[in-house]
Amino acid sequence: MSFRQKLLFLFAATVLLCVAVISASVYSTIRRSFEQADRDRANAVAAQFRSEFQRRGSEIARKVESVAASEAVQRIALEMNRGGADPGEYVSEARTLANQQRLDFLELVDGNGSILSSAQWQAKFGYPEAAISGAALSEAAVSEGRTPSTSGEAGAFLKREELPEGATLGLFAVRAARVGEQPLYVIGGERLDQGFLSTLDIPTGTRVLLYQNLEAKWDPKSLLDLNGPAAGVDKIAPLVARVRDAMQDTTQELTGVIHWTTDAADTEVFHVIPLTGPVFSATNQNPANLSPAPPSGAQRPLMGVLLVGSSRRPLIELERQIVSTALLVGGAGILVAVLASIWFAARVTRPVVALAEAARRVAVGDLDAKVEVESTDELGELAAAFNRMTEDLVQQKDRTLQAERVAAWRELARRLAHELKNPLFPLQVTVENLMRAKQKSPAMFDEVFEESTATLLAEIDNLKTIVGRFSEFSKMPQPQRRPTQVNDLVQSVLRIFHAQLREKNQTQIVVRIELDEALPEILADPDLLHRALQNLVLNAIDAMSQGGELTIRTATLGDRIELSVSDTGSGLTQEECGRLFTPYYTTKQHGTGLGLAIVQSVVSDHGGKISVESTKEKGTTFRIELPF
Amino acid sequence: MRRIAYRFLAAISVLVAYSGAACAAPRPHYGGTLRVMLQSAPDTLGIPADATPADYWDMARTLSLIGDTLVTLDAQGRPQPSLAVAWQSDPSDRHWQFTLRRGVKFHDGSAASPAAIAQILGTLHSSWTVRASADSVTIESETAMPSLLAELALPRNLLLKRNADANNNNESRPPIGTGPFLVADWQPGKRLKLAASEESWAGRPFVDAIEIEFGKSLRDQAIALELDKTDVIEAAPQAANASQRHGTSSSSSLSLPVELLALVFSANSKARDPRLREALALAIDRKPIQSVLLKGAGEPAASILPNWMTGYTAVFSVQANPQRARSLLADSRQPVLNLSYDASDPQAQLIAERIALNAREVGIAVQVSVSGAEDIRLMRVVLPSPDPATSVSEAARQLRLPLPAFPAATLGKSSNLDLDLDDLYRAERGLLDDYAVIPLFHLPIASAVSARVRDRETGRPVDWNESGLSRADVWLADSRSTDLRSTDSRSSDARPQAARR
Repeated sequence: MSFRQKLLFLFAATVLLCVAVISASVYSTIRRSFEQADRDRANAVAAQFRSEFQRRGSEIARKVESVAASEAVQRIALEMNRGGADPGEYVSEARTLANQQRLDFLELVDGNGSILSSAQWQAKFGYPEAAISGAALSEAAVSEGRTPSTSGEAGAFLKREELPEGATLGLFAVRAARVGEQPLYVIGGERLDQGFLSTLDIPTGTRVLLYQNLEAKWDPKSLLDLNGPAAGVDKIAPLVARVRDAMQDTTQELTGVIHWTTDAADTEVFHVIPLTGPVFSATNQNPANLSPAPPSGAQRPLMGVLLVGSSRRPLIELERQIVSTALLVGGAGILVAVLASIWFAARVTRPVVALAEAARRVAVGDLDAKVEVESTDELGELAAAFNRMTEDLVQQKDRTLQAERVAAWRELARRLAHELKNPLFPLQVTVENLMRAKQKSPAMFDEVFEESTATLLAEIDNLKTIVGRFSEFSKMPQPQRRPTQVNDLVQSVLRIFHAQLREKNQTQIVVRIELDEALPEILADPDLLHRALQNLVLNAIDAMSQGGELTIRTATLGDRIELSVSDTGSGLTQEECGRLFTPYYTTKQHGTGLGLAIVQSVVSDHGGKISVESTKEKGTTFRIELPF
Repeated sequence: MRRIAYRFLAAISVLVAYSGAACAAPRPHYGGTLRVMLQSAPDTLGIPADATPADYWDMARTLSLIGDTLVTLDAQGRPQPSLAVAWQSDPSDRHWQFTLRRGVKFHDGSAASPAAIAQILGTLHSSWTVRASADSVTIESETAMPSLLAELALPRNLLLKRNADANNNNESRPPIGTGPFLVADWQPGKRLKLAASEESWAGRPFVDAIEIEFGKSLRDQAIALELDKTDVIEAAPQAANASQRHGTSSSSSLSLPVELLALVFSANSKARDPRLREALALAIDRKPIQSVLLKGAGEPAASILPNWMTGYTAVFSVQANPQRARSLLADSRQPVLNLSYDASDPQAQLIAERIALNAREVGIAVQVSVSGAEDIRLMRVVLPSPDPATSVSEAARQLRLPLPAFPAATLGKSSNLDLDLDDLYRAERGLLDDYAVIPLFHLPIASAVSARVRDRETGRPVDWNESGLSRADVWLADSRSTDLRSTDSRSSDARPQAARR
């Protein structure tokens, strides 16, 4: 990963982290605020419901009291006390009174608890009324013209009411009209249904459901909203069941979360408020009342459940908005980070890049490469140091070149001295013999002259040969490139040495050839390469005077080929290896020291390189790499 | 035994009535128009086969003012002469001969000859072969007709002529009969004015005319009677009963129970299990309904025929038995039954709801509705004849039950007192065995008459339910338009008075 990429990543990660932290913080705060607002709304609706419940209870109690004090009820009470009353005359009386007072339910009940007249179910006359029981009504309360409180204020209470079309839930009050000894009870009430819910001021985003707990099992038709039976509400059943279970030991309010669909926005939080009714005497239970028997003890039966639901949609939509904004800000931040990192990296890395470029130039030998120093910071110091380094290298190189040039001249002088000294000495001796023969034995001079002349000519030829070799080295031709298969060159060279290898050390030098069959052709001068390879093979044979193994390999290395020639001869020292390609340097008795120099020259002219690895007494390997 | 006692009491009542009338009855006089109001609003003057009980009684009482039957039955079911003064049949009861009253004329002046009577009867009963002879009419059938006399006494066999109109439709034309009144004006569904027939074989009625207004609700009728805007109205039995107990200016009267209120299971009812139907029968507590909703009118019933016809209704238990009903159901899952009732019956809804309440007690869900697919129907059935065999057959026809088969020896007796009760009981029990019908109450019909409508013989307000206004001896107490006429010329034995409640 480049420095620029690292910078980019660092910037982006920083921006993302900041956005994530801020978004999470904002979301957490908003969520807490929403939940608090949700609780406040639910509590407000619950308080409003209780208030409305009490108000309606008081209103119902007032209406029932008006009915109990009405002339019609007083007349009926009087007739009941006189005896001989015709119950058939009262059947429709309750309905008339209920219509007058706008009550949904109204029943006139005699002192024995039997219904005389029922507004809501006229056919119910003669049946006992559960609400009129010794447990529900104390004599003291009746004598005072009021009913002991069973649930709400003013004696209003919740009661299940059987109707021809089915049971329903109502808010009731009981009053007694006492004209004689036998009281006449008036039980009036109103439905606790969607009409009641519609009187509540429900905040936006909140809805109120009322479950009338009329059956032992969950009945979806008993769950009402403002428009009547609520639709698609089976998921609320577990909530109601929880309330039923909780009612065994407490009347605490519960909270539940319902996911209507897989969309999180369709989630609703319900605050569940149980509504209880009074405990009626089991002995006076209405046989027509199919509700389960009231629980024993003081446990009040669960008559209904108020569910205040708050939609999570606003919260989820805000949450989505925050996420969208965070993503947008994050994306913009990343973009800004990229641009900033590009600018910053460009500002920061430009000297570094220039330094790297200069270093690459230096690496390829351009010691004139300089880095412009634009700042005085660390990068500026680095650039200045680089420039000083290249200057030092140039100076060092000049000194080295000069030293090498001097050394080369010295070596050339030594070789020339050495090569010329050998033929010169016989020439000097022969000329001295001629002079001595002339002076001391002129008779033999002719004989000596002839012999000396032959020797002089031979040594002169020898000097010509030496001069010719040096001349040839100086006249190395430029390669004439054409497609060349190196494997074929190897075979060709080996054919030249085939006879030599068979005559000499036939059993001592073993030739191994490991050629890459897929070796591609290269653009090269086959004659020059042939000559270079021939020199290497000749050197290897010379190195293995006691026999050994000659190995020639070819291989493909990426965009170039490798040709190696190995022997298992006496090997070279480290110093010998360092000077091996110096012209006129040789480790052999009769070598000119130009063979490997010619090889290096050929390889260099083909754009390749040559290296040597050698271990003393183990052998030497020459590797030539040539580009395609 | 009960019937003997009943006859004894009836005889005593008649004697007391006659003796009272002889001592203190004001003298009747002619004139005046008798005003009547009825609930029904018929388009034609006839009794349709599917008439409701209220329509049936209204039309029967109206048509009986215009026409006569060959014979009538008294309260005990004994045949009495009317247009026929004598009759006889062969032993197989397939051939009957009726000797007609002489000199009787239809209101259009044509003679009520045997040929005319035979033509009317032949039109009414296509399965009969009716022949006329010099002074008699013979009726023949391929099957035995042991109850022919009771059949001929039914209102549907009133001998009425109808002249066809331009469209050859004789149903829309007012009928022409031989009764004490003739049709003077007929506005279908609204008003019928009858004028006294001077040529009536039973003698000219005291009143000059009768005006009948149709389509008046019971409430409007009661108000009109109270305001003296009418003389005779119908009344709900329970209202008449209460009126009798409390006493009012008008005279309310109740007939003997002549209707059956029953639950009838429809052919495609969901209550196919007889145990469910029996459980429903056992669940119904009839007593509170009778005492509160019917205000004492009517009798709780578990049989088709009322006790005054048979005397054995005690063997049909009317007691509710919810425990037995629950054990019959044995906690099995029961369908929700739809109970419908006649919306024109003011008491039907409350009675139906009470039955639904009783049913719910034992675990039977019953929904009450006026219309819709019905499983059970609360319906009234007319028991049109004092003859029990005829009434039970008519009831079976209305209830769409198989007609009971009576042994020949049971039918054709001179009165119901001579019936073989075992056969009648078995026939009735056979109809009720599978609880396809649950009898609830035997109901009377009721009417109220203003104080000015008097009976010639007693001088007291008349009872329209049984004697009917067709009697020529009804007069109006405040009418002074016509001088008193002798009553000797009237045939006092032509229409025996029914026993009053």
